[in-house]
Amino acid sequence: MNLKLKTAIKTAIRGGTKAKALQNLVRQHEGPLTTRLVREPGAFGLGQVPSRLKPDAVTTSVCGFCATGCGLKLHLRDGQAVNLSADPAYPVNLGMACPKGWEALTPLDADDRGRAPMLDGKPVAWQTAAGTFAARMRHILDAHGPESVAVLSTGQIVTEEMAFLGAFAKFGMGLHHMDSNTRQCMATAAVAYKQSFGFDAPPFTYADFEESDVLVFVGSNPCIAHPIMWQRVMMNRRNPKIIVVDPRRTETAQAATHHCAIKPKSDLILLYGLAQLLIEKGAVKRDFIDAHTSGYDDFAAFVSEFTAARVSRDTGLSEKQLHETAELIANHGRVSFWWTMGVNQGHESTRTAQAIINLALMTGNIGRPGTGANSITGQCNAMGSRLFGNATSLLGGHDANKPADRAKVAGILGIPEGRIPPASTVTYDQIIERVADGRIKGLWILATNPSHSWIDSEACNRALEKLDFLVVQDMYPTTDTARRAHLYLPAAGWGEKDGTFINAERRIGVVKKVRRAPGEALSDFNILRLLAQSWSPETAAMFRDWTSPEAVFGILKQLSAGQPFDFTGIDDYNMLSREGGIQWPWPAPPGSTAFNSTSNPAAPASALDCGDLSPLSPAGLVPRPPSQGDPSPTRTPTADSPDGGKPPFSKAVTSPRTPNDFPGPTEATAEPTPSPPRERRLFTSGRFFHPDGRARFLFEAPRLQPEPTDGQYPICLLTGRGTSAQWHTNTRTGKSAVLRKLHPQNCLVEIHPMDAAVLKIRNQDRVLITSRRATVEATAVLTPCVQPGQCFMPMHYEEVNHLTLAAFDPHSRQPSYKACAVRISGKKG
Amino acid sequence: MSIRPPEPEAAAPSAEWTLVDQLLAEQGTLTAVERFSQWHGRGGAGAAGAGGIGGYSYSHLMPAAPPGPGEQYRFEVNLDACTGCKACVSACHSLNGLDDDEAWRDVGSVIGGRRGNAYQQTVTTACHHCADPACASGCPVAAYEKEADTGIVRHLDDQCIGCGYCVLKCPYDVPKYSKRLGIVRKCDMCAGRLREGEAPACVQACPTGAIAIRIVRIDDIQPDIGSRLVPGAFDSSYTRPATLYRTTRPIPADARPADAGALRVEHAHWPLIGMLTLTQLSVGLFAVLATLTGLGKPVPSAAVFAATGVLMAGLAVSVLHLGRPLGAWRFFLGLKTSWMSREILAFNALAGCATLSSALAFLGTDYGSRLASGLGVESGLLPKMAACLPAALALTALVGLASVFTSVMIYVDTRRPYWNAALTTVRFFGTVPLLGTGALAAAGPDKIWLGLSMAILTGLYGWMQAKFRRAWDDDDSPWNASARVIKLRLRGVADTGEVLFLAALICGFCSLISSGPASAVWAALYLLSILTGQVLDRVIFFTAAMGPRMTGGCKS
Repeated sequence: MNLKLKTAIKTAIRGGTKAKALQNLVRQHEGPLTTRLVREPGAFGLGQVPSRLKPDAVTTSVCGFCATGCGLKLHLRDGQAVNLSADPAYPVNLGMACPKGWEALTPLDADDRGRAPMLDGKPVAWQTAAGTFAARMRHILDAHGPESVAVLSTGQIVTEEMAFLGAFAKFGMGLHHMDSNTRQCMATAAVAYKQSFGFDAPPFTYADFEESDVLVFVGSNPCIAHPIMWQRVMMNRRNPKIIVVDPRRTETAQAATHHCAIKPKSDLILLYGLAQLLIEKGAVKRDFIDAHTSGYDDFAAFVSEFTAARVSRDTGLSEKQLHETAELIANHGRVSFWWTMGVNQGHESTRTAQAIINLALMTGNIGRPGTGANSITGQCNAMGSRLFGNATSLLGGHDANKPADRAKVAGILGIPEGRIPPASTVTYDQIIERVADGRIKGLWILATNPSHSWIDSEACNRALEKLDFLVVQDMYPTTDTARRAHLYLPAAGWGEKDGTFINAERRIGVVKKVRRAPGEALSDFNILRLLAQSWSPETAAMFRDWTSPEAVFGILKQLSAGQPFDFTGIDDYNMLSREGGIQWPWPAPPGSTAFNSTSNPAAPASALDCGDLSPLSPAGLVPRPPSQGDPSPTRTPTADSPDGGKPPFSKAVTSPRTPNDFPGPTEATAEPTPSPPRERRLFTSGRFFHPDGRARFLFEAPRLQPEPTDGQYPICLLTGRGTSAQWHTNTRTGKSAVLRKLHPQNCLVEIHPMDAAVLKIRNQDRVLITSRRATVEATAVLTPCVQPGQCFMPMHYEEVNHLTLAAFDPHSRQPSYKACAVRISGKKG
Repeated sequence: MSIRPPEPEAAAPSAEWTLVDQLLAEQGTLTAVERFSQWHGRGGAGAAGAGGIGGYSYSHLMPAAPPGPGEQYRFEVNLDACTGCKACVSACHSLNGLDDDEAWRDVGSVIGGRRGNAYQQTVTTACHHCADPACASGCPVAAYEKEADTGIVRHLDDQCIGCGYCVLKCPYDVPKYSKRLGIVRKCDMCAGRLREGEAPACVQACPTGAIAIRIVRIDDIQPDIGSRLVPGAFDSSYTRPATLYRTTRPIPADARPADAGALRVEHAHWPLIGMLTLTQLSVGLFAVLATLTGLGKPVPSAAVFAATGVLMAGLAVSVLHLGRPLGAWRFFLGLKTSWMSREILAFNALAGCATLSSALAFLGTDYGSRLASGLGVESGLLPKMAACLPAALALTALVGLASVFTSVMIYVDTRRPYWNAALTTVRFFGTVPLLGTGALAAAGPDKIWLGLSMAILTGLYGWMQAKFRRAWDDDDSPWNASARVIKLRLRGVADTGEVLFLAALICGFCSLISSGPASAVWAALYLLSILTGQVLDRVIFFTAAMGPRMTGGCKS
């Protein structure tokens, strides 16, 4: 009432008349409820913000959901984040974010956050939890050996935590087996790159989206899964042709210029067929192949049997469409190939990814702007896990089976070489298999939810029941997996800790602590410090210097020296924050004090040649240093390149969203290191990471999909992301009321209207979906966007993986989520 | 920056500073501001005037100048650019500081086409800032204002009484009621941002620039009858929405909202159920009493009191429906356009008439005459005044019928298919005599009223059932969806209603064939059955009235 009166008086004064106050009495334009929504200039380059959330300081952080790695501007009040907006200065997202990013802070406030460790469902003190962890894990290890306990890690924690976890588990606890949920999303890309290029090195930078003439998306739906990458595609001013290879007519397929609606899992045949057509059309870049690759002739001979007629029959595409697609690739100077989970999650996924790489190599579409065979990664720090997870490879992309690598890592970490187990780990599926048959008795799961996400999840859950000791470390004790834990350790989430992520274009970005964790929740980093201390005096000493994420970042830098991803040129978190993230490689200049070659006697020169630092040419970016043998048409236009002598695409001129006033730091920090170019790609010199500098053509005869449809199970079930408002098993995104508005609450199945008519199913009916594993219920959505004989279910609903078939790619051991056989029936009553 | 464990001598003697304490202390220390200070203290750069969240230019998405006379702002959505990321919704929520589940934008999708040419389009939608905003015309207290200079339909939060009528009136489901605040809130097109040359939150946040602000001549917003913003949306000729959806992709003829066929059970609005049932019972009583006096028959004073009491109870219950009832005195502001205002006026008048009738009836009682003589009223005046009762009752009945008419119009005016004029009129005006005669039957021995009531009940029930069958059988019936909701989702309520109908007939029949106290008991049971039956019917009336929506939800 008081406030009302005040407002009325204020109004009177401002209006200068009593009449206005009287007017407000009859028609209240102002008052306490109106005040709630008042906005005012937010300063810090923010434009207007809600007055009640006006920040007193601002900082930036990289988003913790997907691998796009968007920069978020956090609005702080007394050091705590109260709101956020997308960071216009960050080179990834240029002021945009998807709904998950906008809601990144909300899951931190969920009621069901873990506030204390829990032993058998009862809260216990941290000392008890750490003691129990050590005692029970030790008990199992003593009785059954180092292979009886395993770790399932994640792509969702910061690199420093991954490194700590990997080092503690393997070098400290002495475990042999450790894998991560990145096995479910990018193992295929990692193996494919490693075999083809000699190192797991996604070559692209996001500017390639803007600089292509033709973009080929295979099994990729960036409109929904990576909306901010799609933003970059939309900023392409070259009037690009966009080809989408996907059985479904996804949002991306609709936005594309060409859609190849292939039969499920016929992608490998299609890609081999396209290679054959490109050979027939003379689109092969013989010079590039001869200079920079090996195995082409065998490959060419191999694909000769993939005639258009055969490929048409096996993929369901017309021969005309096949020729048209091949010609688009053949006739354009800059073709980029992009793939996501549709490729990675297949029964022959590694060869499929390599078939894409082969297309890029044979047409010379690599190392130039707007080209590349580019894997779009899934999780925010899958790339960090690929380098520092210490699971499949030894910490820092090393090989545990090479004595020199073991010595190098042991030397940098200051541990006895004997602490490094020589054998590499078994994979996720084999860990679950060993849990099921009793060989693994203790399991430690961090920030992942296999009870929901693992393929054929009910079988996985039956296995988890058999464990003697299951430890789950997560933000929430309520996930499907955490509910099964004997010991639950409450973890701080994104925004409650420091560290770095590496995004899909190899950009290392900083995550900052801007919120206090609830109760006694600790960052994964701090939990690891505690566990290392209580495990043994030896591990306590081993990790004495691992005091903070930034201290560990220094260790990681040393590990990177001389590696293809060498980032010794990055000073510290402040430099990363200032520069808007830095893509690897970024080695220290030769002779600098940072990390010289003494730590790395094996001359790194060749590797650094490969990791060419050539920047993009657009105006405003750092000019490219001259380098030999650069095939980029921006410097040496080639005849086949239609953009020949034209000036290179310039963002500043063509993009309406280019920052005209880049709000960089005004107060320079002491001794600023030279800024790296904002966007860089690999292989500009044509040298790859194999010792001979050549990329490999790798191929294998296609195999039938493991569970084809038949009379009993006549429909092929496809799975994938449902909406941009959902992340994986929805443990975080489900906590935001706004995100919940943006996705269906109940499990759904998309069915073609023709199939639905036969099955007498109406839109929005409840139906039953049955596979050889299980029967689940869902709401039917009739849409011609799936083909007849196929159906689609979003993976975010727990029941979907009851249906999927546990089949794996033999090279990457990645699960084949994308196709299994089901039948659908209307629900009675 | 980490907190170091205190030196041993500095520590409290009993407290042992452990690693856990240190880690918890570290976890609680926020250091981003000190460590990454380059942002700290920097203000202004790229703020107001630059037109965006950080110095970006949105000039191609914004008009060059504010609207001139006869013009207004509009949202223009380029459907071809919208790929369904939904960032607009999140940004609206965050940049406007809305409640946890509140956003003034929403998305849905439209599906159609055939194999090879399948069509699926995400549709982002907010307030359309209509040329003829139905929310504003429905608001009883003028809490909406179409700004003269911008055409933005503003909601005055402090003026709102939380009646929720705009929620029913808007065919695009835009205004949202907040239980916490007791008012409705809605999109203001970020009017404050527009004033400063900044883009609205959704425009700023769209990664593909699909949402723009443009200027349109208000007179040019003249949609043809039957035209729609997107497939499945309401007839645009109703409110003349300003939003423009552009696309170059042909929309297939069979395109429909993704949630077409989805059944929603709407809010029951219990205070309104109570209000409608009680006021209509009261009006029925007054009508019957007026008829009795018109026929020259005596009317017991208690019946007049009862009718008045029921009315007052109904009106009292209705207040519970308002989020902020204290502002309801401003109802006169909406009389020109709002049936809600008219209803409030009518029922206020009715309350006056009923009170007058009761007072006159009171004077006819012993207490009344004693009280009057005690007050020194001239004794000759009393009979004269009491003689006015028939006229007062007739007036009350007439005003009552007019009030019921305003009740009917409130719902008919929302244009919800299930609240069509025929169905609503028959419902409400059927209830009036049904309950009036039923109540009289329960009160007195005259069986003619019971017979009449049973006849009305049977007629009403039969007619409603026939209507329902037709809507259920005909997929193209405007309220086929409501019929499906009743049959598939409100089965329990509908079945109970049927049982009550049969029970009422049985009770009525038993009353007719019995006599004395037994007959009275049966008649009372009859009244109870039809009264409960009417309450259930109002539950169906509200919960089955699926309102039009803009976009068709998100697939499920």
